[in-house]
Amino acid sequence: MTAEVQKYTLEQVEALELAPGTEHENLEGWVPALATDEDLREALAKALDYRGDVALTLKDGRQIEAFIFNCHNGPSLAESWVQYYTSSASEKRKVGYAEIARIEFSGKDRAAGKHWEDWVKSYNEKKAAGERNIGLAPEALE
Amino acid sequence: MAIPISQMATVASYVLKKRFTGVQRYPLVLMLEPLFRCSLACAGCGKVQYPPHILKKQLTPEECFAAVEECGAPMVSIPGGEPLLHPQIVEIVNGLVARKKYVYLCTNALELKKKLPEFTPSKYLTFSVHLDGQREHHDFSVCRDGVYDIAVEGIQEAVRRGFRVTTNATFFDGADPNSVRAFFDEVMGMGVEGVVLSPGYSYEKAPDQNRFLGRARVRRLFRAILSNRKPAWKFNMSPLFLEFLMGDRNYECTPWGMPAYNIFGWQKPCYLLQEGYAESYKELLETTSWENYGVASGNPKCANCMVSCGYETTAVIDGFGSLKGFLAMVRGTFSSYRDTHALKLLKDFASQQAAPRKNLVQIENSERVPEEINA
Repeated sequence: MTAEVQKYTLEQVEALELAPGTEHENLEGWVPALATDEDLREALAKALDYRGDVALTLKDGRQIEAFIFNCHNGPSLAESWVQYYTSSASEKRKVGYAEIARIEFSGKDRAAGKHWEDWVKSYNEKKAAGERNIGLAPEALE
Repeated sequence: MAIPISQMATVASYVLKKRFTGVQRYPLVLMLEPLFRCSLACAGCGKVQYPPHILKKQLTPEECFAAVEECGAPMVSIPGGEPLLHPQIVEIVNGLVARKKYVYLCTNALELKKKLPEFTPSKYLTFSVHLDGQREHHDFSVCRDGVYDIAVEGIQEAVRRGFRVTTNATFFDGADPNSVRAFFDEVMGMGVEGVVLSPGYSYEKAPDQNRFLGRARVRRLFRAILSNRKPAWKFNMSPLFLEFLMGDRNYECTPWGMPAYNIFGWQKPCYLLQEGYAESYKELLETTSWENYGVASGNPKCANCMVSCGYETTAVIDGFGSLKGFLAMVRGTFSSYRDTHALKLLKDFASQQAAPRKNLVQIENSERVPEEINA
């Protein structure tokens, strides 16, 4: 949700005509600098909201390409972890914040460029060109 | 109300039992998402934006049954993704029906007609078919031409085979209440048990973030849609929740009432927000700071939410939890909600729709008769 709504009173919220949606940063390809513990926490919070895979490099050199779906933000890095799925394993896995050396938003953002306006524009263009059975299809799973 | 008496009795006794035993937080409907894969790519959907390896994952029937048994909700809604793409969906549904759970299988109906012979009609099983409005509105909403006709074919076949069928619609900015009312006439004519409807929620993961209705507009839209009801219209929802959408009632969210379980676990805190996952329903209840959710909490993520998964539970508990609420529910079931102001709202919407609108396709409907003349 945007910062705008965070300033609203309950009365203003009740009077909202349109609800501002989330403004997504373009994170695809981003490699955050992890100079402090706070940098790491912030980057992992963004990874949790990211609609694609991220590549984690651990301090022991291992690499994990994963979709992060859960974070436990404990009082220290040693007590904090992320939970993820990889494409090669069926089970959920966990890794501690303290083990992570590098994060790269390596996977494609699966919602980027699919705005309503894009659909309306493409629909209007195709309809004007005389096309029939216009539609969007889900991306291939391979 | 279109809901059968046996189902109402089950829910009523469940709510009363929880009340008399002093249970504060309990689930009414389990939102069981067996997979996120879908055969459509709707711009407003925030449920399917995942990498392919996540979209290929799915819950096993055993995982589904364990979740249902752990939380104990009397009703199970199966959204997704598209549940009919799950190779074991029949086994999952049969297992839930055998456990006497009232199952609402939510589907876009692209596969419905083909899959119907594998299912057995039961009072416990309802196909809830996604239809956002009349043909052009629905096809445009789901971003594909021809879907409405396929869905209607599926509905008709399901009705013919003796299944319980409802339609479910989600409305975003630009919804035309006059068309929605004409749509109610159409779907009731197909023999469905009732209609389910909801304003859209501003899912953080949805590709489109610009068409979510605010609370004031939700109330105006639903007052226009749901006032001056025709006798043939039936709603598979709590009448008190519909009054909430029309602005006649103030409710707070019951975020634990319709918990979501999927391949990631028990979603925290609710079906709409994704702030992490718990391993069990018990852990979800015990580790979520519930006071941080609902519009009164001031949480900006809850600011525009008037969605059934948070507020219909409140309405159902209100309806079955007190004599006052029960009487209001009975009154609402038989009321047509006469309202001359709402007729004026419909007229205003009709003139707005006639004007060209930026970023919206002008949907043609030359056959619609103005409501005032129809009434």
